[in-house]
Amino acid sequence: MKVTISLTVNGAQIRRDVEPRTSLADFLREELRLTATHLGCEHGVCGACTVMVDGAPARACIALAVSLDGAEIRTVEGFAEDAAMGVIKEAFHQEHGLQCGFCTPGMLISARDLIARHPEADDVGIRRAMSGNLCRCTGYQGIVRSIKSAARQLSSQGKQP
Amino acid sequence: MSAASAPIDGDNRQGIGSSPRRNEDRRFLDGKGEYVADIRVPGMSEAVFLRSPIAHGRIRSVEVPPEHQGKVFFAADIAFAKPIVAASAAPNFQRSDYPPLAVDKVRFVGDIVAICIAPTRAEAEDIAQACVIDFEELPPIWDIDVALAPDAPLIHDHWTNNLYVETRIETGDIEAARKSAPVTVRKSLRMGRHAGVSLECRGVVAHYDRRLDELVIYSSTQFPHVIRSILAECLGVSEGKLRVIAPDVGGGFGIKNNFNPEELAIAALSLKLGQPLRWIEDRREHLIASPHAREHRYELTAYADQSGRVLALDAVVVVDAGAYSVWPWTASMEAGMSAGIMTGPYDIPIYRGVARTVCTNKSPMGPYRGVGRSGACFAIETLIDEVARSVGRDPIDVRIENMVRPESMPYRSATHKLYDSGDYPECARRTAEAIDVAAIRKRQTEVSPDGRLIGLGMASYTEQTAHGTAEWVARGLPVVFGYEPALARFTPDGKLVLFVGIQNHGQGLETTLAQVANQELAIPVADVIVRHGDSSVSPYGMGTFASRSMTMAGGAVSAACAQLAEKIRRIGAHLLQAPRDEVHLADGRVHFGTQSVAFKDVCQAAFLHPERLPEGEDPALEVNAVYQPGRSTGAFSYATHACVVAVDPGTGHTEILDYVVCHDCGTMVNPMIVEAQVVGGVAQGLGTALYEEIPYDENGQPLASTFLDYMIPGATEVPDVRVLHMETPSPHTRFGIKGMGEGGAIAPPAAVLNAVNDALRSLNAAVTETPVTPERILDAIASSAGQRVSA
Amino acid sequence: MKPAPFSYHRATSVDDAVAALTQGAGMARILAGGQSLVPMLNLRLAPLDTVIDISRVDSLRQAHDDADSVRYGALVTHAAFEDRRVPDGSNGLMPFVAGQIAYRAVRNRGTIGGSLALADPAADWLTTLVALEGKLLIAGPEGRRAVAAADFVIGSYLTDLAENEMIEAVVVPRRSATERWGHYKVARKTGEYAESMAIALVDKARNYARLVVGATDGAPLVLEQAAQAFLDGRTDDALRVVIRDELLAAGREFSAARLTMHTTVAMRGLKGAAAK
Repeated sequence: MKVTISLTVNGAQIRRDVEPRTSLADFLREELRLTATHLGCEHGVCGACTVMVDGAPARACIALAVSLDGAEIRTVEGFAEDAAMGVIKEAFHQEHGLQCGFCTPGMLISARDLIARHPEADDVGIRRAMSGNLCRCTGYQGIVRSIKSAARQLSSQGKQP
Repeated sequence: MSAASAPIDGDNRQGIGSSPRRNEDRRFLDGKGEYVADIRVPGMSEAVFLRSPIAHGRIRSVEVPPEHQGKVFFAADIAFAKPIVAASAAPNFQRSDYPPLAVDKVRFVGDIVAICIAPTRAEAEDIAQACVIDFEELPPIWDIDVALAPDAPLIHDHWTNNLYVETRIETGDIEAARKSAPVTVRKSLRMGRHAGVSLECRGVVAHYDRRLDELVIYSSTQFPHVIRSILAECLGVSEGKLRVIAPDVGGGFGIKNNFNPEELAIAALSLKLGQPLRWIEDRREHLIASPHAREHRYELTAYADQSGRVLALDAVVVVDAGAYSVWPWTASMEAGMSAGIMTGPYDIPIYRGVARTVCTNKSPMGPYRGVGRSGACFAIETLIDEVARSVGRDPIDVRIENMVRPESMPYRSATHKLYDSGDYPECARRTAEAIDVAAIRKRQTEVSPDGRLIGLGMASYTEQTAHGTAEWVARGLPVVFGYEPALARFTPDGKLVLFVGIQNHGQGLETTLAQVANQELAIPVADVIVRHGDSSVSPYGMGTFASRSMTMAGGAVSAACAQLAEKIRRIGAHLLQAPRDEVHLADGRVHFGTQSVAFKDVCQAAFLHPERLPEGEDPALEVNAVYQPGRSTGAFSYATHACVVAVDPGTGHTEILDYVVCHDCGTMVNPMIVEAQVVGGVAQGLGTALYEEIPYDENGQPLASTFLDYMIPGATEVPDVRVLHMETPSPHTRFGIKGMGEGGAIAPPAAVLNAVNDALRSLNAAVTETPVTPERILDAIASSAGQRVSA
Repeated sequence: MKPAPFSYHRATSVDDAVAALTQGAGMARILAGGQSLVPMLNLRLAPLDTVIDISRVDSLRQAHDDADSVRYGALVTHAAFEDRRVPDGSNGLMPFVAGQIAYRAVRNRGTIGGSLALADPAADWLTTLVALEGKLLIAGPEGRRAVAAADFVIGSYLTDLAENEMIEAVVVPRRSATERWGHYKVARKTGEYAESMAIALVDKARNYARLVVGATDGAPLVLEQAAQAFLDGRTDDALRVVIRDELLAAGREFSAARLTMHTTVAMRGLKGAAAK
């Protein structure tokens, strides 16, 4: 039996009936057609589906939409106007932090959260913090470089996510 | 030859050798990439495959609950779809049908029994779960030895045994070498079976376009045109009535470079039902039922002199190719390529190689980044280390001394490959210098404070890339991948669109092909649009695999753009009222002294104002070119990898402390991208070396089917790889480009195993199998301790 | 990889959740953070009819600092421990352990109660709670009861929890200020489940030592003889032998490699505590 939920997605108020078994990821992708949130494993390991739930990164594939009634969700699409995310994206572009692009939305969400919490993170810290986002293309070197560069720029501009 | 460090910053040049940032990044960074799972067609149903839970058996019946009747489809429902047959031209190759849906028999866990359709994936899974298959179970052939046992049950009933094929290469007199060689070294090795694991799984969407009267297939594939050809054959429809589109593809690495039963089954059922269908592979399906990688066994013997010079090599390669032969590569590709490049960068005159391809009840073996070469490198490079040890020398010296000398280029190997160019010893020397061998050897003599053992391992390889007609004909495949096309077309407003037959899925080809256009036309890279991945958009091409796209499509783009450049110069000179020989192209303009005219004005003349063209000049600016390299035997890239590990003898854990690659892929188009491809390849190779494995139990059940039990390297498992570049242009290709997409993945298993064994040397222990897990290391230490005790 | 259908009950209180469990008659499961349950649902490995969502029961998110102990509601997340948003009585061990669980995105939603209820032998909290001599407060239809962490876990994925009971809170005794902890964990990868983990607590002032080894294919092993041997001044190989023998005596049929690994990890756990 479907359950009615109301939540905020990228600033918009959404009210929908969902099957209890529907994951947040499928809700975003199939109901709202927000397809930046990718599914790479559907069991919470690869990190491609990472989105912000109430201000903190979460795996959309193992969050049930029904349980997020009242929550505030933000996906990569919702960061289009975000200044810090703009800097991070540009850093990924400059430092070659992506290849096929499939892991990229999850990487960006995790990277932004990392920079917000640990703007001074060194290579080891960045690698540890990003260990829950798998990338099969880059070998992570470009990603680490991108995050370091973005963190440096944001801090020199006195901006934090 | 020049050693180039990647010029990443402050370079405004955009042609070959520069590193402009990628054109394709923007859509991915904005979350606007469009992968097959993002595609939706009105009225579409979701398809789920009912897959065999057992390894080997006959299907007696399938019970479909009454409420699901009409939603489950079997082989008989798409009987018009012909089975996939991937037969090699090799004599004695045992052919088999790979039907889109199982006909009476299943041959591996994951083999497809039926298709279930429903409005949502979840509901389709409900239907699959509710179906009950009644099997007559047959003995599972879960291992090479089981398959080859004298009375083994047959997986394909009409075969004589469970061997797809055995091929041999014999060069020189191995028996004479065996009798006379002062040093004989033997080694048995194994590489574990694993999966390819693109982060995006596979997927297919099929629907009928009524207006165009054609079946449209979206597939997460590396070669849409070739899929169209084989799909047309299997469906019995004209290629003119089929359109295959590879949208954004989230990684390929070879796994998406096959014609799979899923593509055929979804296309056939969609055609039959007149119903749009979507199948999106989930991770469990990917791990158990997409084409697998590796699982090699080696029996090697090196015959050498007292200095460690290898005089002859005897190799037996056995590959577990699983239940079916994959199209178009055939089951024998993996073993054949391994045995066919076994002598690697070494000048070993006498060689006997036997390649045995075994059929088992496992998911079929397919191409995976490094195909065959990872295994060959693993074999020869660990053997070279062993030879060095047995003559009491450092493996690095023995390695270099055995290598093909630069003055011997071009060099014909004992495996009949023609190495085109390069300086292999210099590459190894630079690697050794960068990793600082002396410092590591010194460190090894000191007691480490944490009890960990330090090891250094090196591995070199040479890699045939961008091979064309001659090589593919020699392999006897159903398709000969000899060329690439490019259609270069300007728009009236002065932008250039390149229509190419390759498929870009992370390699940066939307940028690097634009760089080639820039090289010929001096057009800004941002003004070049690359269109690919759609059989109705691009000229027929072969796709992206075998480290070929940059060389092949780059050559085609160059040829097309060079012709366009000529025409633009003619028109531009006319518009500028300048002599034809005194204009040049720069920054998207035609220049004559201080005057210039923009490409846009040239294009306006060419397309919209033919009255402005010089007399006799045809309107339009569009050229179609086809490229094949001067020699189709391949451009050989090569590299030496070195890694330093710390092995914890208390826990068996291995940490990579340093990793250096010195490589030569000829002329680099975009050093930033080249470097990242190397690093990405190394990461995958480290997966093979240390983490990735799908073992099978005695029932033929795969023991890793999720990311909880199948591990790919994460950010903390991959070190900062230091990449050194050499550039020896290939004499056979446009610009001297050699392929390089796969190389990074070839050497890590060998380099890591050599390093671990170097670390374990003081304990007299050695590991001979990948992945080098903590368990395997601890077992090796324990068994050597056991030997010491009993000795 | 989508779950089979189930019905959903959003619990308004602990009693409401327990009532729903009782009504579910073994086919209802509590959803806390969902970081283990939902993957199992996606893989169709957890047959159930009803999911009882306790995330709206605010009391379960609270932590209370008492004189001798700290009480954590079952829904306190790993990230809350990691960020020290809840009081700590373990001299920093619990925040440290929390920071090593899986990945940040998982830690943001995963809860201590959910982790303990699953009783994955390789998960971090189980070993930690046994080491810290914590206890679990369990709510059921007959009321509340407390059980020591060491008694709560019976084996791999097996607990003392009845089908109509749920974990309401975890109570961790305040550890002595002079106690030091050592923690050593080996996992194939960062964020992976442990292959072996050990926690050692050493209080030289009180001549006290406690050593627990986890990821041992069952309940965490409390190595009392090893702890005593350590207090008796045994080190290196002499201590190693005691640890090894005690691990062997547990009857878990460890492979030779696994035995070596656990022994090493236990040694290092003790060493870590002793070095502080």
